[in-house]
Amino acid sequence: MLYRAEDLRRVHGSRTVLNIGKLEIEPHKVYTLIGPNGAGKTSLLRILAFLDRQTSGSLQFLGRQIGSGEKQLYELRRQVVLLDQTPIMFTGSVFTNVEFGLKVRKVPQPERHRRIAEVLDLVGMASFADYNARGLSGGETKRVALARALVLQPEVLLCDEPTANVDNENQEIILKSIERINKEQGTSIIFSTHYLSQGQRLADHTLLLQNGMLSDAVNENIFRATIIGREKDSITCRLTGQLVFAFPADIFPADAPGVKVHIDPSQILLNPVESEMGDGNSLSGLITELRQDGGRVRITMDIGVKLVLSLAMDRYRRQKPCVGDRALIYIPHGAIGCSRAGLP
Amino acid sequence: MDLLFDSVQSALLLFISFDKDLIEIVGVSLRVSFFATLIAAVIGIPGGFIIAYSSFPGKRFVLTCLNTLLALPTVVIGLLVYSFISRQGILGPLGLLYTQKAIVIGQVILIVPVIMVMTIAAISRIDSRYRMTALTLGANKYQMALVIIKEARYGIFAAVIAAFGRVIAEIGISMMLGGNAKGFTRTMTTAMALEYDKGEFVLAVALGITLMVIAFAINLLFHFFQGRTVTDAV
Repeated sequence: MLYRAEDLRRVHGSRTVLNIGKLEIEPHKVYTLIGPNGAGKTSLLRILAFLDRQTSGSLQFLGRQIGSGEKQLYELRRQVVLLDQTPIMFTGSVFTNVEFGLKVRKVPQPERHRRIAEVLDLVGMASFADYNARGLSGGETKRVALARALVLQPEVLLCDEPTANVDNENQEIILKSIERINKEQGTSIIFSTHYLSQGQRLADHTLLLQNGMLSDAVNENIFRATIIGREKDSITCRLTGQLVFAFPADIFPADAPGVKVHIDPSQILLNPVESEMGDGNSLSGLITELRQDGGRVRITMDIGVKLVLSLAMDRYRRQKPCVGDRALIYIPHGAIGCSRAGLP
Repeated sequence: MDLLFDSVQSALLLFISFDKDLIEIVGVSLRVSFFATLIAAVIGIPGGFIIAYSSFPGKRFVLTCLNTLLALPTVVIGLLVYSFISRQGILGPLGLLYTQKAIVIGQVILIVPVIMVMTIAAISRIDSRYRMTALTLGANKYQMALVIIKEARYGIFAAVIAAFGRVIAEIGISMMLGGNAKGFTRTMTTAMALEYDKGEFVLAVALGITLMVIAFAINLLFHFFQGRTVTDAV
């Protein structure tokens, strides 16, 4: 195992920003860390980069227990590099910035020059080597920061929202470089993002973080629910103040005044046939967006609230839904999850 | 008014004729100020960095003490050092009193707090991402410190300039610990005081002009380097 963490907690003042029961990360894979702002993604990445220490709990890296000794942390940092969400450039040229990590490792000059040329070429910044690093655009800065990390050929590359605030062209270059470095060099990659689709495109595994905890629920179709009626076996709720929705009482926390409801996009059926429907909610709405996402199609619908469906490609080809169509959807009870923790 | 005009005119003649006394006094002043600033920088810059970057109980108290030391009168330092290096003092056998070394010791005590406080302020303004980036790229704590100091170099350079300006213009320490011995410990400020006491204004005015020119030249040099780097960055 690359990383193994147990009961990992990080506390800032009176606030617990990270509370992970168990986390196992395999080597040579791409992991994506998905979660909303404040979910604890950056805190987790900084712990995995050995830049911050956990308040309690254990962390192992390649089978070694991580202690608090500065010498051990310094050695481990030489195998793991964190690419910051808003990277900062040192004073000097693009070349000297990329050279920094190699210089501190005392890599001989000819090898330094060769590796820098290769990595700048990889991120499409070869012609910028002599430019002042502070004069680059946001996207270019991220690419140079990626080159500065990749030139060290780390065991693990941690990227904190590598494509945030970057235009499409730069996003594509960054994601392709990450993909290539994992395939060609077997570098383990963990990157955080807000976008589920981006994670699903690149990652072998997806980790969902919510309120500092790893979650099984996806980061979409999350609604605040208020109870408006209770019957023996079911509860009727209003989602986000608009949509009336019923689901079984047993998945609803008994003593909670309000909960967070999440609906798995891949379990929602579009225009179901009679035989596919059982216990669940049937609703109708307007298709507002269609987008290919790996081997599936993501459909955004307006059903009073914005709801995302993830449709298998063969089903999409059979049904051929179009933007502007009014369609029926069926949400089985199994697609619904409830939690009371941390209402957004 | 005539007195001032005549003094300035005579002072300019001293400059033009490369007056031996004037050059000697300026030389002593520059030498002691240079070494005092150098030693204070070697102590104050790393000291300021350590205080800025570490957290320890009583840090606020240390900062308050350093800020208080900024207002320390030169005569108090003169008295303190005198008590150590005079014949009866514990460092008396070293024979430091009324030497340039004694002036340097006193001036170092005067400007170490200046350099420390300004270094702390300069380093505290540096974005914390520099530290994080240097560490994640594999720097050890000394290499990380060098990165931070490099990024804070203008603030630190300003601290050194301010310290040099403070020592070259001070009089209390030079007078009390140097003794104003001609050719040995007579600095620009002590010479000006002496000439004033004698009612001889020509040399005093010439030295005053020299002091102003030196201060102006150093600041000009600082702005030149700063301006050149800003231009390079564009």
